[in-house]
Amino acid sequence: MSTEASDPRIHLRVANKKAYVWDVEDIATIRSKHRLCGVFTGTLPHLSQQNLFLGVPMVLLPEEVVLLVENGFAVLIDDPKAHIQPSVAELQRWNSKEKELAQFQLSQLTTALGTSPAVMSEEAIKKRKERELKRQAAAAKAAEAQGALAEADSSIFTPSENAAPPPATETQYTVVIPASSTSFEWYNDSTCLHSSIQSAKEAGIWEYPSNLHERAKCGVFRGLWEQGMYMGGGIKFGGDYLVYPGDPLRYHAHFSATVLESPTFSLTPMEIVAHGRLGTVTKKSHLLCGWDDGKKEVSYLSIEWAGFG
Amino acid sequence: MDDSLEQPDAKPPTVTSEGNAPEDVDQASDDEGDVVLDWTKLVPSAARPVIPRRGEKEFEPQPGGGSGLQLHVLDRSRNAMFEALRATRTISSKAVSYAIWHPEIARAHATVARGVLFTSIGHSVPRPVITADGAQKQHKRLELLPEEALYLTERGSLFCWKATTLDLSGVDDLEGVLGPPMSVQQAFSEMIGTEDLTLERYQVYAYLKRLGYVVTRAAAPNSLYPMPPPFDLSPLNQKTLSIFGRICSVFSSWISRVLRIFTGGFDWWRPFQHSRWFLRDKNYGAVFRALRFIPTGHGVPLLPIKAEPPVKPSPYHIFYNVYKPVTPFRKSEPCLPDYQIVVINARTTPMPSLRELTDLFDISPEMPPPLPRQRRPLNGAAPPNARPANATPVQSPPPPPLSLPRRILHWFRPPPPENTPPARRPHPFMAIKAGKKTVIVAVVDAGSTGFFRFGQGAFEEWAIF
Repeated sequence: MSTEASDPRIHLRVANKKAYVWDVEDIATIRSKHRLCGVFTGTLPHLSQQNLFLGVPMVLLPEEVVLLVENGFAVLIDDPKAHIQPSVAELQRWNSKEKELAQFQLSQLTTALGTSPAVMSEEAIKKRKERELKRQAAAAKAAEAQGALAEADSSIFTPSENAAPPPATETQYTVVIPASSTSFEWYNDSTCLHSSIQSAKEAGIWEYPSNLHERAKCGVFRGLWEQGMYMGGGIKFGGDYLVYPGDPLRYHAHFSATVLESPTFSLTPMEIVAHGRLGTVTKKSHLLCGWDDGKKEVSYLSIEWAGFG
Repeated sequence: MDDSLEQPDAKPPTVTSEGNAPEDVDQASDDEGDVVLDWTKLVPSAARPVIPRRGEKEFEPQPGGGSGLQLHVLDRSRNAMFEALRATRTISSKAVSYAIWHPEIARAHATVARGVLFTSIGHSVPRPVITADGAQKQHKRLELLPEEALYLTERGSLFCWKATTLDLSGVDDLEGVLGPPMSVQQAFSEMIGTEDLTLERYQVYAYLKRLGYVVTRAAAPNSLYPMPPPFDLSPLNQKTLSIFGRICSVFSSWISRVLRIFTGGFDWWRPFQHSRWFLRDKNYGAVFRALRFIPTGHGVPLLPIKAEPPVKPSPYHIFYNVYKPVTPFRKSEPCLPDYQIVVINARTTPMPSLRELTDLFDISPEMPPPLPRQRRPLNGAAPPNARPANATPVQSPPPPPLSLPRRILHWFRPPPPENTPPARRPHPFMAIKAGKKTVIVAVVDAGSTGFFRFGQGAFEEWAIF
């Protein structure tokens, strides 16, 4: 925690060569300041039976990770290594905190509910018992007056009275399943922090970009990003990215982009027709982005269905 | 030809206002599959949150980063989103389940299993337990696969401890603590990557589970994992052939074989020569059948592959068995799955080759042709069109025993299929489109999942002229 305070860089938790963001503040920074969207992967608590709105963790596209790290906005954390086995003392502290929280909730509930019988303190239970006993005694007296039949009835009911009030330990409280590990005292990411892609690659936790195609994708992504665009995954539109002029929350995509590994990459006419058609149908232009690995430059070409006649 | 139908629309889509119904529909179809989510309509604080309709979007921000109004609306949307994301995973202490994650066997041992989700999640495995007197005993316990434990944890139903080497039994203040607690982050970091689980596979699992499907592994991860019975892979139409039909088919193939002896093998220049001998065969169907001298159909094996060492196992293999929410599912004795799903990573996996697809089709069951569209609503619970053939026999009660004369009669003439309305022939195009066998591939590209269906269309079985 102390490292985060002094280090303004966002900590990306890397596991299995995927980068996750768990902190909502970090997600907000990445979205608002660095104009990157990521993909939400987790189930939204309390809306767990749908796939439209998803929640933390946010998984970043590998291109986004490369961009964030290369620009010095973020560092990579080897997450499995950062989870250190806690000592008994640390566990004890954690457990007492949890207990306090549960106790606090219970006390809050009792004060909030006041007279409500749902959750009761020891005293309340005692009082209720006394009251019930009194009522019982009164009922028994009345029954005695009525005769032997009623007496038999009351003797049936008496044993159940002892079991009726719930014991105090069974009261309900809320268990919180922590999303992020940073609340754990024993979570320590300062020793497994990588501030460059190269060092993360050497540590074996990251491998993107590893070939020309992936380098081209990173280059094109950066090129579009530097022009102020927002990028989303384009698999549903037959491209590598969807290119938005503003935050995808509010604006439609203008282009679906395809990354070509070199400016002289050969395309078949069929592909051009297909891209043109697809772009028109989805009210987008198709963008061909040629990456020049020597000059580290991108050239763009957009295709639109002209449709004369 | 159809140019009039496809006027290109280069105009920017107009900004829609609320309540403008036709435009609204247009916009929705425009961004089919795109993320048009309005988080502002998602109110997490409400007791019963509702899933809002699609939100509205604009064409582009005003020059200079957007007008004041645009920035305001964007801020509102973003804040709503972040607010929804901040919701914590909380659950009542009476509903929460507990498990201990054992990394060395990649299983979570469920110590407390509560809730309806456990009717389809987890399997029991005997594990050696050391009893109080030091003897080793085999005790059955409920274990969760990594994806099951992770899904339950991240939806906030399961609290996971991590197995530890520390001895916590005698320590003060640690009653009920079975190990270090695991956060959802730790579960993602440590459970994915075990027992063949990748992030893509987990995303498909969670996607289907959120929709209510029952998802199990198609390949048993251990010998005690309950598996459905194997599929009946024999072709459908052969099963209904009567004895009489079988004799006929044997006879005719024998005749043609005899004929070939006389004609000296197959004459490529006169492929339908022998039909001259049978006057009754002078119809289109017979002629076309006789003309078909190139072997066709999916029964014909592919040409053997050239002696190439297999580079690595194909990523196209069935990973999950999927049951619809309505299918009665028994955890200990699963029935045949409704679907089988292959999961691939779109970024690293190319399109399947013909051989990979054929290998998948070979282990998939044959489905009956789809029924024609105009179906009368029969007895309410009529199975939907896409239901695989194998699922029906499991649920339908066995037919009543037949009397002896009727049974003898059945030897010669197959009985009409039971409780079917007057036979309606399936539409040929529908049948070819649906295919006789189906493979579903879930394609995951960095978190966005698409499901694709490959059907094995049997063109050779439908005479179309």
